[in-house]
Amino acid sequence: MLHICHLYPDLLNLYGDRGNVLAYAARCRWRGIPVTVHRVRRGEEVDFRGMDFLFLGGGSDREQNLMTEDLRKRAGALREAIEDGLTVLAICGGYQLLGHYYRTREGQVIPGLGLLDFYTEAGARRLIGNIAVEIELDGERVKVTGFENHAGRTYLGKAAPLGRVLAGSGNNGEDGREGARYKNVFCSYLHGPLLPKNPALTDYLIRTALKRRGLPELLEPLDDRLEATANQAMLRRLRVI
Amino acid sequence: MRWLRNLGAKILLFLAVVLARLTFRLSRLLAKGKGSSLPGMVALRICPGVLKVLAGQVRRGIVMVTGTNGKTTTNNMIARIAAGAGYKVAANLEGANLITGVTAALIKNATLSGRLNCDYACLEVDEASFPVVCAQVRPDIVVVTNFFRDQLDRYGELDNTIKYIRDALEKLPSGKLVLNADDPLVAQLQTAGAGKQVVFYGFGERPAHRGEGKGKGDEEQGVREARFCPFCGSPLAYAYYQYGQLGNYRCPRCAFARPEAGVEAVRIRTAGSSSCLILSPEGPVPLTLPVSGLYNLYNALAAFAAGLLIRVRAKEIGNALQNYTPATGRMERYHYLGKAILLNLVKNPAGFNESLRVFREAEGNLDVLIAINDNAADGRDISWLWDVDFEVLQHCHRQINCFVCSGTRAEEMGVRLKYAGVPLDKIIVEPDLEAAVDRILGAPGHQAYLLATYTALWPVERKLTRCCQKEHAYAAHMSSVS
Repeated sequence: MLHICHLYPDLLNLYGDRGNVLAYAARCRWRGIPVTVHRVRRGEEVDFRGMDFLFLGGGSDREQNLMTEDLRKRAGALREAIEDGLTVLAICGGYQLLGHYYRTREGQVIPGLGLLDFYTEAGARRLIGNIAVEIELDGERVKVTGFENHAGRTYLGKAAPLGRVLAGSGNNGEDGREGARYKNVFCSYLHGPLLPKNPALTDYLIRTALKRRGLPELLEPLDDRLEATANQAMLRRLRVI
Repeated sequence: MRWLRNLGAKILLFLAVVLARLTFRLSRLLAKGKGSSLPGMVALRICPGVLKVLAGQVRRGIVMVTGTNGKTTTNNMIARIAAGAGYKVAANLEGANLITGVTAALIKNATLSGRLNCDYACLEVDEASFPVVCAQVRPDIVVVTNFFRDQLDRYGELDNTIKYIRDALEKLPSGKLVLNADDPLVAQLQTAGAGKQVVFYGFGERPAHRGEGKGKGDEEQGVREARFCPFCGSPLAYAYYQYGQLGNYRCPRCAFARPEAGVEAVRIRTAGSSSCLILSPEGPVPLTLPVSGLYNLYNALAAFAAGLLIRVRAKEIGNALQNYTPATGRMERYHYLGKAILLNLVKNPAGFNESLRVFREAEGNLDVLIAINDNAADGRDISWLWDVDFEVLQHCHRQINCFVCSGTRAEEMGVRLKYAGVPLDKIIVEPDLEAAVDRILGAPGHQAYLLATYTALWPVERKLTRCCQKEHAYAAHMSSVS
């Protein structure tokens, strides 16, 4: 049994990000791995260490503020779970929140949880459009696709990038990096949503969770031809292949 | 010198109108489009004040309809109500709702010298363009239908859109507002109505057949936009939901609650056609619409409220609505060799969910086409497809023969259905729209439901129109095939 924790599903539900939870759960169930999805709202109890996969999405400014306040109270427990190897996927606003801070256009600094070494500054215009990124999973290079839409420019400190931008803007539109990675924490600006469109990454996140539980990591292959055609179509459109 | 300037202005206006008309003819002739925005673009280039000049000549009043969903239908209904009461109406009926489309609509009704002959202008205005249009045209009545997440990549987040509309409304010195009481995001605009008359419309009850307790999980609630009080941020408490965030709500902390609706629907039925009883200061009026869907009843209520404000009698309004025929892609019906075909526009989760509900209520065997384009007018970001509750198909995919996915994002639509639990062998990916329509026409179902985003709609409609004509010729000796 794998426990999926969807944090603030009522607040952080922009751009179809709940598709990530749907895809993670579906790809477990299709292989006979039972899953439970815990939807955790503000103020509700959760034991992060007992979870196997934690998803943190993005929201509009107002909603993001509401949840930052709540998550700050849980930062200690979340840090422990991350050090213990909890698999985390944080997208867009959720991604920014895990770093040191977010500086708005007006110069206001909103502190983050500081769990990963990076910071974000608001840019003059939003970075919007289809994006392709090459990431490395178990030594294998995989091209993932998605849609980005963010005003924040993220600059990595010690945190490793999730991947290399093939087409699009990525973290800041300057250094060719996309997302961040630390232990089993994966951060990205890719909506789309990311996991259903990129099953290789989803399976990788399932394997890291199984490994932490000491369960067999070998995953039965699934029929992913639809995902592959969608991925190829976008890569061709972006002239990446 | 002044007469010279005046003459100059008149010549510019004349040129703007003439060239816009010419563009209109040409674009129709070349079949490049429906000629609904380009003429406006030409006219505004030549004479930037053309919209202001024309709008200033409307005799009785200007009605604007904005919001996310239902603008076209509501505006068409209002235009019909006004026309039915004997008024001369100028309207952008085809959904071209940017400043160019609004301008084009007025030019179509103007003489070459720039004289506009109309009593009412009924203008559907895109929510992001609303402030821009309001700067040129002062509306007498503003109808706000609802706010759902729509094409976010164009507009930024919903909060901003609402803020711009609020600012524009506050700047209006007078006028009347028609607001959806059931949508907290719309109802909050009542505070932008200082010095203005506000009329609310809404449902007085939850329709009987939509069982209680269904929207429990987040799977069902995925699209609810405003679960928080727009004034104090507390979670809103709902007695019941209609769909999306529409329903009977109350803020437990501050005084914000669903306002009492002056135009209210009760005894709501929506199977096949829709009907209700409308309560208003003019007494109860029964209403039957030839189209299905709760959202069409909402549109009718909005139009009803606007109709009362332009002083049309309640009974006359009811008659006008009864004969309402949908605009392109708003539940249009076709027939092909005895197969009933329904075409509907989809553009955001709330509308899409309602479309899915309509075909869940259908009986017999179905074929489904879903055409998703990601051109600018559709919204380049298609992530919103994951906010649509395709999971409801798990309960009814047995009666559906196939799902043909088409358009520029056909493949990703297929992926969405796969993760909603639709068996892979029922998912057909055919990016070419014409070929996709062919597959649907050839499929064995007795009925077909075709759902398309904005730019995918016209090619599908063109193809259907062609095939139906072909069917006419073939079926000339047969009776009662329309």
